[in-house]
Amino acid sequence: MSFKSLEFLIFFPLTTALYFLLPHRFRWGLLLAASCFFYLFFVPAYILILFAMIAVDYFAAIVMENLAGRKRTACLAVSLAMTLGILFAFKYFNFFNDNIGAAARFLGWNYGIGSLKLLLPLGLSFHTFQSMSYVIEVYRRNQNPERNFGLYALYVMFYPQLVAGPIERPQHLLPQFSERHYFEYERAVGGLRRMVWGFFKKIVIADRLALFVTGVYNAPADVPSVILVLATVFFAVQVYCDFSGYADIALGAAQVMGFRLRENFMKPFSAQGVAEFWRRWHISLTSWLHDYLYVPLALHRRRWGTWGIISAVMLTWTLIGFWHGANWTYVVFGLLHGAAVSGEVLAAKLVKKVRTTVSSALCVPAGILVTFGFFCFTLVFFRAPDIRTAWYVLSRLAGALERAVGLLLRGDLAALQPLAVPPENSLFTLPGIAAAALITVLMIASHAGKSDTRATLESWPAWARWTGYAALVLGIFLFGSFESSGFIYFQF
Amino acid sequence: MDDHEILLELNKVFAGVLDDPALVLRRDTTADDVEGWDSLSHIQLVVAVEKHFGIRFLSAEIQSWRTVGDMADAVAAGLEDRGRR
Repeated sequence: MSFKSLEFLIFFPLTTALYFLLPHRFRWGLLLAASCFFYLFFVPAYILILFAMIAVDYFAAIVMENLAGRKRTACLAVSLAMTLGILFAFKYFNFFNDNIGAAARFLGWNYGIGSLKLLLPLGLSFHTFQSMSYVIEVYRRNQNPERNFGLYALYVMFYPQLVAGPIERPQHLLPQFSERHYFEYERAVGGLRRMVWGFFKKIVIADRLALFVTGVYNAPADVPSVILVLATVFFAVQVYCDFSGYADIALGAAQVMGFRLRENFMKPFSAQGVAEFWRRWHISLTSWLHDYLYVPLALHRRRWGTWGIISAVMLTWTLIGFWHGANWTYVVFGLLHGAAVSGEVLAAKLVKKVRTTVSSALCVPAGILVTFGFFCFTLVFFRAPDIRTAWYVLSRLAGALERAVGLLLRGDLAALQPLAVPPENSLFTLPGIAAAALITVLMIASHAGKSDTRATLESWPAWARWTGYAALVLGIFLFGSFESSGFIYFQF
Repeated sequence: MDDHEILLELNKVFAGVLDDPALVLRRDTTADDVEGWDSLSHIQLVVAVEKHFGIRFLSAEIQSWRTVGDMADAVAAGLEDRGRR
């Protein structure tokens, strides 16, 4: 079931009402049943895969409790191998198989292993990572094994964050299922407001921008270069509103019932560097890879000095890219971010010197714009279906930039006009582009500002606040895009 | 070397790695309190501290630190261990 569906509008209030009506001891059972029902709307048979994974990790944690040394490590390895094996079979097997096949053909070898025809279970990368987090924390003795199979299953399957995160940690989420939650008006209204905010971001901003971005990226050769630039910049806003809108709905829905999920975004467009960007964007994934991959790897390689850190950074960010999908485009996306973070590590002292000598009035906006620009550039790989298309888009962008700079240097402003103002066609109109550009500028400005838009709205007097939220709901119905469009991150 | 001396030595190492001569560390200082002390510079700090004191920490030990005080205790334990050997 998608949050953006009529079914969810019935499912959510019904589940929430039942949750508060039932005695405490039955509530986890209700949430587990509701979460299974929620998942069954996608590919019903895949719930068996989910339960197989849950069972393996549940028993692995219990077995591990009384083991030490190599046996304990072996138990962890078996559990991780099973979970990663599922992820590999469904998500990555065909990628490796196709590439090995292509390499074999290139070398003239005979390679006959065919592709698997499997649909990717929705949100597989999210719940596999959440499961692995549990087993690793038990292995590190930071978490006791959960004896109640149902409670552990609920930890993996809790419906608000089941298909697109935030990727939770056992110490944070598991104890909450045993807490006694009472209905609190203020908390529930706060959660509902957050959900409205999320729906607005998703249905009005992300899905409207998606119509334009998808049209452009489906046929990049048919549009002027300036439109390619705009589509790439708008995609940054689209993917942010899509994913953070999902997080707002998930956190809001959980909050209504009294659960606190981790924040997944913290004004990412205010970042003044790529490493900082990743501390603000998809925080639950970045912190997962930070805690379980980057830190152990970098510590292990610390004798190599700076290059030990660089190698850990490159591997971590390549895997962040690859986590998104089995495609070279995501690998390049990750590699580019890894290279940028590595550059920041190597130039840390220089950057600090520049920041202390140049006025912050210049440094801060420059840092924000360069980081946002870099993110947009890498999104060409994230959005393009293959490397060839990404390369084509980038070559067009480079060509347009070269031409614009040439015309500017010659002072031929009249010739610049067609580059700056695109001709209208059925895909885009100037008012539409102007509105999207305005949203982009406002979003970056609101991220860069000290106050938080949602918090500001919350601080208004009641009449103004309710008018604001009524306007958001009205905006969803008036300007929303209700054509079937899933959340981008469901596919991961 | 007593706790106070270890803290002063740590201060010197941190100030050098983070390029911040004015830095003042306390036992309860955390990464959130120090500009530039992030997960990337943390590894550089660990390497510099190990080199400065001539000791080697365990990875699990490093990951359990929450404050400068935790790090100082690990240094004290490392120095004591080295003294025994």
